[in-house]
Amino acid sequence: MRMPPFQLHTPTSLDEAISISEELVSENQEFDWVAGGTDLLPNYKWHLNVKPNVISLAKISELTELNETHIGAMVRLHDLVQSSATHPVLAKAADTIASVMVRRSGTVGGNICLDTRCYWFNQTEQWRESIDWCHKCDCGTEADCRVIPNQNTLCVATYQADLAPVLMCLGAVIHLAGSNGIRSMPLSEFFQLDGMTRNVLQPGELVTHLTLPEDVSEWHGDYQKLRQRESWDFPEAGVAAVWKKNGTTKPTELKVATTGLESIPMLHTKEVDSCLNGWSGAESINELAESIRKSVKPVQNTWFSPSYRRKMVKVLTRRACAGLVEGDS
Amino acid sequence: MSKDDNEDEMVGYRQQPGKLPFAKPGSGGKDRFSRPTDQEMIPESQGGELAQPWGSHRHDNLVSGQVIGKATALVDGRWKVTGQAQYGDDIRLPGELIGRIIRSPHHYARVLSVDFSKALEVPGVVAIATGADAENKFGVLPVTKDEHAMAVEKVRHVGDLVACVAAEDEAAAREAERLIEVEYEILDSIHDMRDGLQDSELPIHDRGKYHIGDANIQKRVFQEFGDVDGIEENAIASHKENWLFAGVNHAATEPHAVVANWDPAGRLTLYTPQQVPHYVHRALADVLEIPMHQINVHRTFVGGGFGGKSDPFPHEMCSAILARKSGRPVRITFDREEVYWINRGRHPSRIEMNLHADNQGRICGIETDALIDGGGFASFGHVTTYYNGVLHTAPYEIGAFHYTGARVWTNKPASGAMRGHGAVNSRCAVETGLDDLAEKLSVDPIDLRLANLLPPHSATITGFRVTSIGMRECLERVKKESGWDEKFRKMPLGKGIGIGCGFFISGSGLPIHWDPNKFPHATVHLKIDMDGGVTVHTGAAEIGQGSDTVVAQSVAEVLGLPLDLIRIRSKESDTSPVDLGSYSSRVTFMNANAAISAAMQIRDELLDATAEITGAKREKLVIGDRRIFAKNDPAVGVSYLEALHKAQEDRGALVASGAYRTPPMGRTHKGAAAGLAPAYSFSAYVAEVSVDVETGQTKVEKVWAAHDCGKALNPLAVKGQIIGSCHMGMGQVLSEEMKYGRSGHLMNPDLLDYKIPSVHEMPEVVPIIVESNDPEGPFGAKEAGEGPLLPILPAVCNAVYDAVGVRTAELPITPERLLRLIERKCKAEGVDDPIKLPSPRLEYSELQAVLSNRAEEHAKRDLERRLNDNRQPYHNGALFGLDPTTPPDEVDQKWAVNVIPSEEYLSDPRLAGSAWKHTERRHRGDS
Repeated sequence: MRMPPFQLHTPTSLDEAISISEELVSENQEFDWVAGGTDLLPNYKWHLNVKPNVISLAKISELTELNETHIGAMVRLHDLVQSSATHPVLAKAADTIASVMVRRSGTVGGNICLDTRCYWFNQTEQWRESIDWCHKCDCGTEADCRVIPNQNTLCVATYQADLAPVLMCLGAVIHLAGSNGIRSMPLSEFFQLDGMTRNVLQPGELVTHLTLPEDVSEWHGDYQKLRQRESWDFPEAGVAAVWKKNGTTKPTELKVATTGLESIPMLHTKEVDSCLNGWSGAESINELAESIRKSVKPVQNTWFSPSYRRKMVKVLTRRACAGLVEGDS
Repeated sequence: MSKDDNEDEMVGYRQQPGKLPFAKPGSGGKDRFSRPTDQEMIPESQGGELAQPWGSHRHDNLVSGQVIGKATALVDGRWKVTGQAQYGDDIRLPGELIGRIIRSPHHYARVLSVDFSKALEVPGVVAIATGADAENKFGVLPVTKDEHAMAVEKVRHVGDLVACVAAEDEAAAREAERLIEVEYEILDSIHDMRDGLQDSELPIHDRGKYHIGDANIQKRVFQEFGDVDGIEENAIASHKENWLFAGVNHAATEPHAVVANWDPAGRLTLYTPQQVPHYVHRALADVLEIPMHQINVHRTFVGGGFGGKSDPFPHEMCSAILARKSGRPVRITFDREEVYWINRGRHPSRIEMNLHADNQGRICGIETDALIDGGGFASFGHVTTYYNGVLHTAPYEIGAFHYTGARVWTNKPASGAMRGHGAVNSRCAVETGLDDLAEKLSVDPIDLRLANLLPPHSATITGFRVTSIGMRECLERVKKESGWDEKFRKMPLGKGIGIGCGFFISGSGLPIHWDPNKFPHATVHLKIDMDGGVTVHTGAAEIGQGSDTVVAQSVAEVLGLPLDLIRIRSKESDTSPVDLGSYSSRVTFMNANAAISAAMQIRDELLDATAEITGAKREKLVIGDRRIFAKNDPAVGVSYLEALHKAQEDRGALVASGAYRTPPMGRTHKGAAAGLAPAYSFSAYVAEVSVDVETGQTKVEKVWAAHDCGKALNPLAVKGQIIGSCHMGMGQVLSEEMKYGRSGHLMNPDLLDYKIPSVHEMPEVVPIIVESNDPEGPFGAKEAGEGPLLPILPAVCNAVYDAVGVRTAELPITPERLLRLIERKCKAEGVDDPIKLPSPRLEYSELQAVLSNRAEEHAKRDLERRLNDNRQPYHNGALFGLDPTTPPDEVDQKWAVNVIPSEEYLSDPRLAGSAWKHTERRHRGDS
């Protein structure tokens, strides 16, 4: 299995990267960014939305900074797991990603920007030809979505990355750079509910780093992941929960986010707020878990069925929040 | 070794006075000195210290204490760990072309035309072939040849071969692939195996007058033995379950790869990682229409087979066809997806299992109905259909056996033989059924088994001759070592322990190609020249299981040589005698027997020579490490090389040939040969699991795995097989599944979504080797390659029941399937939260004592039978009061032997049994 040929660009600075991209955009040439390559290259081998140009970020050292409140886009997942500067919940989530070998190569930015996945999409060319292609990679055929037929405006491929829910809960801000300058936004506003575009990145724009609030170390929490095997597998559902407690049993602040269920990760602010309003410990967590279960709408395009994934969201939420009521009785 | 040492005179070899010294005549091994014989390895029967609780063996006198029974690193291991082993895709010949295969995008279609004119114009494309280039059919079984190199008329599943192209590089080949225009007429496909039983407008294959009605039934079997009519009357407890087994793939690390090359003399060499090179050899001759002697099949290192590389494959034909067309070597390597399209994995199956126990806790009936999904081609399916039934007629003595089986074609990749061929699924159903019966009888499931075992040297209900049986010891060992009595039905919710047993053939009695008559199953040639090294020519396919090593060990043992003096040449059909290949767990039994018989001839010559040199009596001579000497006076003797050179006087290199053929066995009813083997292996596993009752996730915590392999020739390899089998079986029971989507497409043809357990899922496995000393096995050995897989599936299923009180009837037990069962259980128990479920508990009934007593008596009976060479015959049925010495059907009217269903049965058949409602075309008066 071979990748189709492409032109590889290897800038050594952010400025150079942006100017290469600017040039390609002006020439109307399509391109992809590649960070660790653990997502992009397998997709290229399967001839999925292949571009003639690839700009590698591997040599841009300014993207690799890592401390308590700053995570460069090119920080390797393995380094994130190992670093003492990493928030423990983030480290736990990162440690569940794929396998050691993939984490050695895969990056934080790559994980955030992970392409959405689907049984009808992540297949070889011959396989996809046999289903007459699909909406996400239609090879010029304007093919329909194979998961939910008779609609071809939306792609329902699933976002299956682990870091985003934790980072969203921790209040991360994502920083982007492009030819039009830099911009930043809360991570929760970065994603767009569509399996095709996935996020707000414009052509030629890239993620440079994430920042976390100064009080990040005061947050406690957990990340729970559903998958068939304890290695390799993408999350079939993932729930992050973080909170601040002030000596009382009721958390002063609580945030819950999920991944692996729809085309983008979601921060469940509404459900959490209503739960905090009438806080009653374990019972509230149960209610919260139930309301989150109701709010997510997975589709049949990954290993486990949607109904099972929804049920498990409830169990995972409860487990992720278990630390909240530890010691309570 | 320093330089000076090299110049010392060789110890143990005397330069003859008066003759010119020539270069030192080989060292006779890396180690310069003979080691004293290790008395702990010499059997008691020969005066040594090796205990023989199972009696002596006909090969005892051949034991020199060298390597047999010692943990031995595989002889080809260093090639692998240093990366120098050449697998299929590592063969790079000068001027090679890259071959790619054009495959069907449709489930079922007529190929109307293939236009490759544009593709031929692509720069770098050298040759293109289609079905028209090779219209002869082939297939692994002579009775069901139904494959073509490429589609001749129809494509039968997505991924079926349509054409192939050879180009200078992969890019050009891929470009050509895109430009080949194939016109199809899409036909109605079938995907549910149950539909295969119905008449169809256009069956997937047409078998002419042998076609069964107008259905897609490839093979059907009906078998009835014993007191079938009495089952209902005799039974006090019955188990019934309808099982659904997903198809699984071997998922060997190495994808299929092949290189074909025609040499200037016009001979074809095919380099291929094959388990069964000889059948490829035959198929190539058929397809290419050239005589067999024009072909050299070169088996490369095999990166895992497990049955997935045992058919002759269409891509092998394609590479040869392309190489012939282009005049250059052609290499084809599969992508992983193509491995799933060629498949030959375990059949998706629907199995109805009925077990019945009488008031004595005897198994008075097994009724099995197995419908198996063959996919698009026959492959080994003819045999699989039998194996799903006949391979669970032991190790238990049973009152009646009723089996209906059918294999249907569907528009999926072909199923075939996979480790544990045909026995795995129905065995799982039997063993979980026994667990349920024990529950219903309120007895311990291990005791239920111990009280119903066939004794050693007995005949099963279908007439299989079973020789050594170590089943009882397997059960006793795992029971003790797992702490069964303290754990079973006593652990808290979510923790469980379960038992499962296995029974498997050690080589199939009937070779697939039985022509020419009386051709041996295995042949081994030895050649020893003056250097003392032994060249072993064998066709046994080393597929990682250690067949090269076991043959080397056998020869080394008999001749008293260290392994480094043995060199195996097993790769090329030009130099190796015909061997039937690595399937049906036949290699150790058959090949080592052939090797021993060849080595015995050399041994005789060495003993003669020694007697002549020393004047000692020949029958007093024994062989030790590179030394032949008088047993009572070891000082009288010569070195191996000395004896060898004496034996070589006037003739040079010694050569010998040994062969093995199974003895005549079995009975005469239709299908009697299926499942016949010269010996059978037995196994019993206990698995301990944790189940997360909220998520349905099962984790296997520990496995105690006892396997009776007769004699562990290489305990290291046997343990490896046991642990590897556990891993493979655990995949099938917990997570592996070929998942077909609603459009009939295989959704997970890759190793990310085809869920092989990772190292995290792998429990500690405690391998327990039981050595029942098979009288006909080489040094007592039987198989260890496939049988060890069988028990892990039911052991896990039964442990899951012990943990949460639910029985699964669908594999794999994915978390979501198990959770559904747990939820159903909660509803039935009126429990709102699964963590409040009761844990299964057991209180013995009165039958428990009956069983323990019988087990104790039978243990004595078995011990007596295994040690007494003058034992009486024992036929299945004795437990039910019949005369053990004659086959029951010969004396008892009630005892049925039927292979054709009655009208009465056909009025209300089971699922697979309904295959018999159709009439073969030749019998319904079709013109």
